[in-house]
Amino acid sequence: MAGVSSLDELIEALRCLPGVGPKSAQRMAYHLLQRDRRGAERLAKGLDAALQHLHHCARCNNFSEAEVCDQCLSTRRDPTQLCIVEMPIDLNSMEQTHAYSGLYYVLMGRLSPLDGIGPKELAFERLFNRAADGVVKEVILATNFTNEGEATAHYLSELLHARGLKVSRIARGLPVGGELEYSDAATVAQALLERRDYS
Amino acid sequence: MSNKRVDGQPAFVLHLHPYSETSLVVDVFSRDHGRVPLLARGARRPRSAMRGMLMAFQPLELGWFGGGEVKTLAKAEWLGGMPLLAGRCLLLGYYLNELLMKMLAREDAHVALYDAYFEALRALALGGADAPELRRFEKTLLKELGYGLTLDADVETGELIEPDVEYAYLMERGPVRKVGAGDTAVVCGKTLLDMAADDYGDPRTRVESKLLMRQLIAHHMGGKPLQSRRVFMELQEL
Repeated sequence: MAGVSSLDELIEALRCLPGVGPKSAQRMAYHLLQRDRRGAERLAKGLDAALQHLHHCARCNNFSEAEVCDQCLSTRRDPTQLCIVEMPIDLNSMEQTHAYSGLYYVLMGRLSPLDGIGPKELAFERLFNRAADGVVKEVILATNFTNEGEATAHYLSELLHARGLKVSRIARGLPVGGELEYSDAATVAQALLERRDYS
Repeated sequence: MSNKRVDGQPAFVLHLHPYSETSLVVDVFSRDHGRVPLLARGARRPRSAMRGMLMAFQPLELGWFGGGEVKTLAKAEWLGGMPLLAGRCLLLGYYLNELLMKMLAREDAHVALYDAYFEALRALALGGADAPELRRFEKTLLKELGYGLTLDADVETGELIEPDVEYAYLMERGPVRKVGAGDTAVVCGKTLLDMAADDYGDPRTRVESKLLMRQLIAHHMGGKPLQSRRVFMELQEL
């Protein structure tokens, strides 16, 4: 009976992954146990190591093995600019642009009142302490252009502004190479609303 | 069961939940079918036509089908004409959505409430005075749910409300002339009369009607806390 219960335990554990229901969890468990025991071992060890060694960087809040991550320690980056993103994956997108050389702060989420995620859950205090280190001059808000991302940007801009920092928001509009004909009405409407003087 | 197709239905998105790898479950408030959960297949794929369109606080036209509890979203069209909510108004918008999500039963149509919601959002989007619109929305919500307010007469004596008298508003009943110190909502007669007339020009009316509505809504929600209000308060404190 003990064997059966540890199988159940594994299936139940796999269900914590996003998009994995009881059926997929069962398939994964059988696959790991029957066809790929080596992979299973690697997965177990990998998870164990990640849980033990990874924590949040004291400066950017991203995952890091060291107290402060390599990116935050780099001397090639401009410490006067701090870009705020929602998730680590957003940081990757920003890095792919090769257009930004400042530092980052990863919120690990966004304000989402209907899910009960507020300033406490996102540890706004930590961000304020980071931004008020005396070196940062400009904070660039790069949260998503969803309602939640906009709410986050709005409150952060007010609160950071009150702490004497220059705050900017990444621009929104048509994509590069975008044609009006093929753009959705909402994007065009907003681009029109937020148009800039041509000088 | 209603295993039929619904087409061209005016609706608003109330909330989104990710579902499986690429889909979304969308809680919508539609004009003629009330609150309906819809499955938007593939809506989280990078090239999905619906990606970005299924956004709260924007008037949409939706089509769906299916007989189960969760229908399948077939079509979504952006109606536009409403600026995006911004700043503090966004948080107030979440408050409206949370009320609808927690107080409305599924597939219960409330056309008058839909109109009040639309009006309240429009007022928030245009950034004007929001208090009258919020109170009007709350009043319509309670009325549509069968908890309509009594604002014109003392429920014990039947006498008309007098502007200069203080009343205690009894939950589930209505106003009675205040006798002693109690723990129920106390408002002056003028506030009740102003609320009946949807006139929120008086600062005292604004304060008292807000508190009264808060108590009434808390009562009818049966103690379920409002997350959007908690987050809003926490942000105000920073």
